[in-house]
Amino acid sequence: MTLRDTHSYREAIEAALADGHRFAGLHASADGKIVHTALLAPDGDVHLESARAQDGAVATIVDLAPAAGWDEREAHDLYGIRFDGHEPLRPLVDHDPDLRTWAVPVRGDDAYQIAVGPIHAGVIESGHFRFHVVGDRILHLDPRLFYKHRGLERAAENSTVTDGLRFIGRACAACAVANRLAYTHACEQSLGLGAPPELARVRTVLLELERVWNHLNDIAAVCAGVGLAAGNTLFAALTERARRLNQRLTGHRFLFDTVAVGGSALELDRARTATAREELEAIGQQAARGWRELQFNASFQDRLPDIGALTQDDVERLGTAGPAARATGVAHDARSHAPRLAYQEFTPRIPNHPEGDVRARLEQRALELDQSLTLLARLLRRPLRPTNARCGAAPETPIGIGLVESARGTTLCIVERNRDRLERVHLRTGSYANWPSVAHAAIDNLLPDFPLINKSFELCYACADR
Amino acid sequence: MLTLLRDLRRLRRAIALPAPGRGRSLALRHVDAGSCNGCEHELTLTTGPHHDLQRYGLGIVASPRHADVLLVTGPVTTRMHTPLLTAYHAMPQPRLVAALGNCALGNGILGAPDTIVGPVDEVLPVDLRIPGCPPPPDTIAAALLELIDRARSGS
Repeated sequence: MTLRDTHSYREAIEAALADGHRFAGLHASADGKIVHTALLAPDGDVHLESARAQDGAVATIVDLAPAAGWDEREAHDLYGIRFDGHEPLRPLVDHDPDLRTWAVPVRGDDAYQIAVGPIHAGVIESGHFRFHVVGDRILHLDPRLFYKHRGLERAAENSTVTDGLRFIGRACAACAVANRLAYTHACEQSLGLGAPPELARVRTVLLELERVWNHLNDIAAVCAGVGLAAGNTLFAALTERARRLNQRLTGHRFLFDTVAVGGSALELDRARTATAREELEAIGQQAARGWRELQFNASFQDRLPDIGALTQDDVERLGTAGPAARATGVAHDARSHAPRLAYQEFTPRIPNHPEGDVRARLEQRALELDQSLTLLARLLRRPLRPTNARCGAAPETPIGIGLVESARGTTLCIVERNRDRLERVHLRTGSYANWPSVAHAAIDNLLPDFPLINKSFELCYACADR
Repeated sequence: MLTLLRDLRRLRRAIALPAPGRGRSLALRHVDAGSCNGCEHELTLTTGPHHDLQRYGLGIVASPRHADVLLVTGPVTTRMHTPLLTAYHAMPQPRLVAALGNCALGNGILGAPDTIVGPVDEVLPVDLRIPGCPPPPDTIAAALLELIDRARSGS
């Protein structure tokens, strides 16, 4: 790791961005003495640019990569680093009681503010939203999350590499496999462990099983957002079937504790992989049938286009990830370059109308569901056996990086290790990357459409809050 | 649309649900006090077609003012402590509190000590404990049915 001074750090990032790299995450380390910025190369590799803070400050990169906005605010709140040039540096994780410190002031004739949450009307995670509206039209939205901040990264420090997985696993149930796998990949890279094809296959199966239930759930959520009870219940029933299948295959409905550093203990014999294939095929047929019905439901379809639209430019600027990015036609997907997983010849799909609106995000889920089911049918053709990572595949490094595509978007995990002890672990999930995009997509829409817009992203609060 | 409804009717017939009609109802208000989202996902499916809480007179209501039961998930984080108490004090009496999931019960809580207040029973009197990580929908449904039966027998 090269530690740059703050000036050459900024220059290095500017050069990398000009070279086609994308911002992938930023976090503070060494008690706030160091800042790491992760950059994703066009070929899919991630590298870090690291800066030593000078008098507690580092040059901001938020003007070069606006996607770094939340990351810099978080690093300031949790580690006290200042970012020169990031003005105003609003609190994000810190819940300062003074509204003026974190929210944009309300301006304009007839503009007023509506505060929603942290407790919401349905079974929804806790988070607070401040809408600026004129009548029903949204002018601006300041989301304030981190009500569920549990300090999991800090709590994981000084634990062993194996034990650290518990903390990362606790971040979120919906992205349990993706988060654990990002951590596991980071640790294995740092330990010089390779993933032989059989291990890659088991882990890809788990990651895709997670995507299947999530996408079914997210389609149900959009139906619920529109108020189409029949669609919601059908896809909720399929979500339940997918979770029951997870239970039968791995002993846990959310696939908890199926991913471990150094190998996999999961064993599925021929009979069980055959059952899995049959059940997934049945789920796929039911989902396809339900999807067709949704296409011909005019009152449902009328509610979807032009709502909560993002452009490709927004995606690049805000660092939108996952289905929400692909719904605009930006075909970024960490599965396109995943040497530790079994995604050979994977090509991301994009919808027929990549307009970046609720309709496109919904269609994107259906396309990816189909893709995941096809992939699983292939991967489950042979039984799964307990298998280990390969030792000595690469030299050991003090820092490891893991990148995994969750159902919400690209999830990055960075691990700093001293022998068997974790010095620092940072998890930047697809949900974290996408929250600013939700706020942006809401602008100029009607307030009663916000629940639908929010559902069409269906981000986890727990993943972002940690 | 008709196909969707027909599929649901068929599903209903295929699922052996316990008898509805307890002759009582309980209105539930859910508060996420810092969960990992697992309990929320399972609670949502408890209202889905396989379990269908509403059949038993158990409905999830939008406001604590309409609620008999506060259903709390997660270890109570420092940031959710005040909102949780506000929701509780907004409820009419008599009121009940159910702690949903291992974190809410204080089993195996993970996190930095200065971000977490502690399990629900350190903050509110807990009347019903639903263990699990997360508890699956049938466990949640069975526990809430027990609560409604308890309320009926007046104990």
